[in-house]
Amino acid sequence: MEQQGVTIWMTGMSGAGKTALAIPLEAELRKRGLKVERLDGDIVRQSLTRDLGFSKEDRDKNIERITFVAKLLTRNGVAVICSFISPYRMVRANVREEVGSFVEVYCYAPLETLIERDVKGLYKKALAGEIKNFTGVSDPYEAPENPAVTIDSSTETLEESLAKILAKLEQLGYAPPLEEDEAYTAEEEAEIESRLAALGYL
Amino acid sequence: MGLFGKLRGKGKAKPHRVVFVGLDGTPYTFLKRLIDEGRAPNAARLAEQGSLLRMDSMWPWVSSVAWSTMMTGVNPAKHNIYGFIDRDAATYKQFIPTSRHMKARTLWEVLSDAGKRVAVINVPVTYPPRQVNGILVGGFLSPNLEKAVYPASYVPTLQSLDYVIDADPWKARESKDLALQEVNAALDARIRTLFYLFDNEEWDYLHVHIMETDRLHHFLWQQMEEDDPDYAPAFYEFHQRIDDMLGKLATKLDDSTTLIWMADHGFCTIKKEIYVNRWLMDHGWLKLRNVPPDRKKGLEEIDPASVAYSLDPGRVVVRLQGREKDGCVAPGAEYEAIRDEIAAAALELRDSDSGEPVFQAAFKREELYHGPYLEQAADLILAPHDGYDPKGPLFKETLTYKGDELVGMHTYDDAMLYVGGRQIPQTRFSVLNVMPTILDLLDVSQPAGLDGASLVS
Repeated sequence: MEQQGVTIWMTGMSGAGKTALAIPLEAELRKRGLKVERLDGDIVRQSLTRDLGFSKEDRDKNIERITFVAKLLTRNGVAVICSFISPYRMVRANVREEVGSFVEVYCYAPLETLIERDVKGLYKKALAGEIKNFTGVSDPYEAPENPAVTIDSSTETLEESLAKILAKLEQLGYAPPLEEDEAYTAEEEAEIESRLAALGYL
Repeated sequence: MGLFGKLRGKGKAKPHRVVFVGLDGTPYTFLKRLIDEGRAPNAARLAEQGSLLRMDSMWPWVSSVAWSTMMTGVNPAKHNIYGFIDRDAATYKQFIPTSRHMKARTLWEVLSDAGKRVAVINVPVTYPPRQVNGILVGGFLSPNLEKAVYPASYVPTLQSLDYVIDADPWKARESKDLALQEVNAALDARIRTLFYLFDNEEWDYLHVHIMETDRLHHFLWQQMEEDDPDYAPAFYEFHQRIDDMLGKLATKLDDSTTLIWMADHGFCTIKKEIYVNRWLMDHGWLKLRNVPPDRKKGLEEIDPASVAYSLDPGRVVVRLQGREKDGCVAPGAEYEAIRDEIAAAALELRDSDSGEPVFQAAFKREELYHGPYLEQAADLILAPHDGYDPKGPLFKETLTYKGDELVGMHTYDDAMLYVGGRQIPQTRFSVLNVMPTILDLLDVSQPAGLDGASLVS
């Protein structure tokens, strides 16, 4: 069956686990034979949108360009994993409308946990006022109202969260269930059948 | 054994071990005769020191079903292996049942869970190899050694032993001489591997399966029975080698190690092969889209108006609505009527030359099996009299055939179990009792849901 493209949009505050999940998700989907591209905030901003800053306008433009790329890939049968904070509902709604096949994954962890984790040291800087317009601290994050999947990285293991996403993608028909390797290749099966025929079993 | 092993074992009896030799298709009555005629002195001596017992197989008595039952301790409706070939009822795609289709845990997995170390070599339907605490080498349904071995790191050791997966059955069909050459060469490899593992690996349960007895019997049983001057001596020489192996093994046993050998079914000479699908066609129960059918299309050549077809050996499937592709037999009264009609006719079928009945029973599947995978079973299992070998080709010109390539066939009630060092009364029991017995001998508790009881408890 031909693969149907999809954009898996992982939204959530910095440090909630978007990239941490996107990386193994990419590997899992490849294992199932899908063509996959991963668009990640940290990567995209070094290439496709390196001219943009973090003002509301620039952030909108950032998502706009990513949406365009995701749309092209999705309509060509690719599973596109996008991990962006993308804090505004309106913007995400626009992505959904543009790309069509869209699965929203809300990556959540309580703000206290995120501040405690502070993997990139950004919350400390934001709380000290060194970064302006920082989502969750000095800028709002509008949580999805009806995401396809919600994961909570403060209570779930990475494996659990990954399994939830894969189950949803399977349910929606975007990912085939993982099959064990066949016991035989076609050639091997023919050889075993021949052996059974020689022994009178076929 | 390391220091901790020595300390732990101090003052306690050595833990029990079992060495198990599978003698595929070696009849109890045949070995008794070898013993009585002085042709198997080692088996004779061992029989005095233990219990040599006649055992029932499992219907149908093919090795895949019998060994799957032995290794899981449950009937086919719980382990899901019904033959060497099976079909997806909804698509009519045929497939070879492997360990992937087996729905029950094996003896070696249960032993592994209990911390026992196992080495299991060449048992049918163990490919692809499941993970065990030890070594597992798949049987003759393995495509090659590289894929047959768990852990893969053990492949070079087996290569250094010149291990072989199976004798070449096509060569064996070419001539009786080639058949003997093939089975003897494969037996060499099996015996080499048995003693290598015995001496060099740590194990609590060592199981080496000799497939070559079954092969020899398929190709040369009739020559042995007829005392053929060219081939009967070679047949007995082969069994002399088996007896030598048992003798050598016995010298290596200590008090804590129990020797078991087992045959999964008996053997007899084929009077006639019976083509069950031809018989179904002759009665109008089976119609084909093309005669002769296109082999590549397999069961798709069955005409939708057919009410039944057969898989090897004697497994009659009713074309039930809702289960079979384009099934036309309504569940309930119509299904039961068809089953009764076919069963009654099977019991009426006679050899046109001798007048002997062909089938001794026509079992409804629920008479033989019980469990969650009953739906995969054939609806009727035709149990032949010894000498009439039911076969599964979709089309044959004639109802019966007698060839000189395959001359031996399986029997049901002449399988065999030997348990060393124990006096076990001969009762009627089956291959279902073997796994519980081995678990008992190794002091491992019985998992829930086994269908048989231990013979030594």
